[in-house]
Amino acid sequence: MTDFPVLSAGPTPHTPLDRWSFTIEGLVQSPVTWNWDEFQKLPTQTVTVDISCVTKWTKLDTKWRGVTFDTLLQAVQVEPTAHYVMAYSDGGYTTNLPLDEMVNGQAFVAYEFDGKPLAPEHGGPARLVVPHLYFWKSAKWIRGLRLMERNAPGFWESLGYHIHGDPWKEERYSGD
Amino acid sequence: MQPLIEWQAGTVTEIRPETPQTKSFTLALPKWTAHRPGQHYDVRLTAPDGYQTQRSYSIASAPEQVGELELTVERIPDGEVSPYLHDVLVPGDQLEVRGPIGGYFVWEVGLGGPLLLVAGGSGIVPLMAMLRHRAAQRATLPARLLYSSRVPDGVIYRSELVQLSDRDHALELFFTFTRQAPEGWTGYRRRIDEAMLTEVIRPFEGRARVYVCGPTLLVETVANALVRMGLPTELIRTERFGPTGS
Amino acid sequence: MERIEADMNTALMVDGNAVAGELQRIFGRDMTMAVARCAGCANEAEMGALMAFTRGPGVVLRCPACQAAIARIVETPSAIYLEARGATYLRLAAQS
Repeated sequence: MTDFPVLSAGPTPHTPLDRWSFTIEGLVQSPVTWNWDEFQKLPTQTVTVDISCVTKWTKLDTKWRGVTFDTLLQAVQVEPTAHYVMAYSDGGYTTNLPLDEMVNGQAFVAYEFDGKPLAPEHGGPARLVVPHLYFWKSAKWIRGLRLMERNAPGFWESLGYHIHGDPWKEERYSGD
Repeated sequence: MQPLIEWQAGTVTEIRPETPQTKSFTLALPKWTAHRPGQHYDVRLTAPDGYQTQRSYSIASAPEQVGELELTVERIPDGEVSPYLHDVLVPGDQLEVRGPIGGYFVWEVGLGGPLLLVAGGSGIVPLMAMLRHRAAQRATLPARLLYSSRVPDGVIYRSELVQLSDRDHALELFFTFTRQAPEGWTGYRRRIDEAMLTEVIRPFEGRARVYVCGPTLLVETVANALVRMGLPTELIRTERFGPTGS
Repeated sequence: MERIEADMNTALMVDGNAVAGELQRIFGRDMTMAVARCAGCANEAEMGALMAFTRGPGVVLRCPACQAAIARIVETPSAIYLEARGATYLRLAAQS
């Protein structure tokens, strides 16, 4: 794992698994929260991903195991006005995504990397992985997703980074 | 008023190996200004395609060395700047630099002592500027250096440090080695810890100006220990270099 | 600071000294000696002593006592963004 870039906005949170939870809330009929044991029981997928990094173009094949956003959505009833998602993490980090770019396997909450539990310094217990967008959208130490009607900028999107962040369109900075 | 820092082209006048991984680069600067020991300069490289990258390097020389700047740089294998400095740069070449920068991690004789300097690896560089300045000013305030290295040939400025200490009874050196010590070594052979710091700081009776510099984990360990030992936090200054290079 | 454990993330952390040049460019004077009062826990620390995370999309300066974000800096090709809502104030020495 030594080649894997560690890009952080803050120190590693160390939430113990018995205090960890994951929530889907916001524009859903009723919010749902899983504790760690419950989350582990959800069906998972193993995905190999090519990581694009916003700070350095890095082509790295990475293997993750986690729960797709589609699986998580099955536990809630999404309001028709929900179009965007704010992902929020331990330590206060947030990042925003379009709802339609998270479904159909485009996003998952991963807790295993290369067959081993995801290390805290790399985002463990669980992190969001959204392979098709710049890596700052793949929030480490994720604790929940809040469905919203209107787009709102997260931690870096509110400070000069592109609100969408599609590397194929070179959407790195706002105004790109 | 503080000098406006702007990029200028310095000319490399000398390159001197210090250890297998570090070299000292002496630059003549057209717009040299006296720096304060502990400050650094930014070094910027521009590739033919316009791509720019920069890094900060602590000044190793004392401000008494007028007109010149010495930077001691550790070669980081996958670094963007240090391999260029080590492998490509030759005397006569120019290097874009900007500085001097920093006001927090500085010490001058006027600030007084006694002085405790704690270094890990290349963290010795800004502390060496302080010691060279102290020697140039012929200051007599007591100073102790605690310097942690992995192996004996990783000790930067070893012979100069020994010379400075031989000539000056008020300067005492303490080395510790974390991986391999010299033959017959009777000194410290471990990572810096509270017990070691307690011994080294003893004659200063809990009151000294302390400067700690090196890899972040070493600085965190040392700073936390000093606070636990009761040292007033306003007397402790730290500079974290990030991960160790080697 | 005691709560921080030794891991790669911590090893990569530096302090405000590492962004002294950027801050001097923005403010026109050395800022490492400017004292920042944390809006979260009221701790006061010189900017040179703030925790700095420099490897991500931007720089985050954090309170050494409670780790709250005090300031953030992003440099894009066309602009520099500085946000310091995490500081109740920055206190600088009056210049002669």
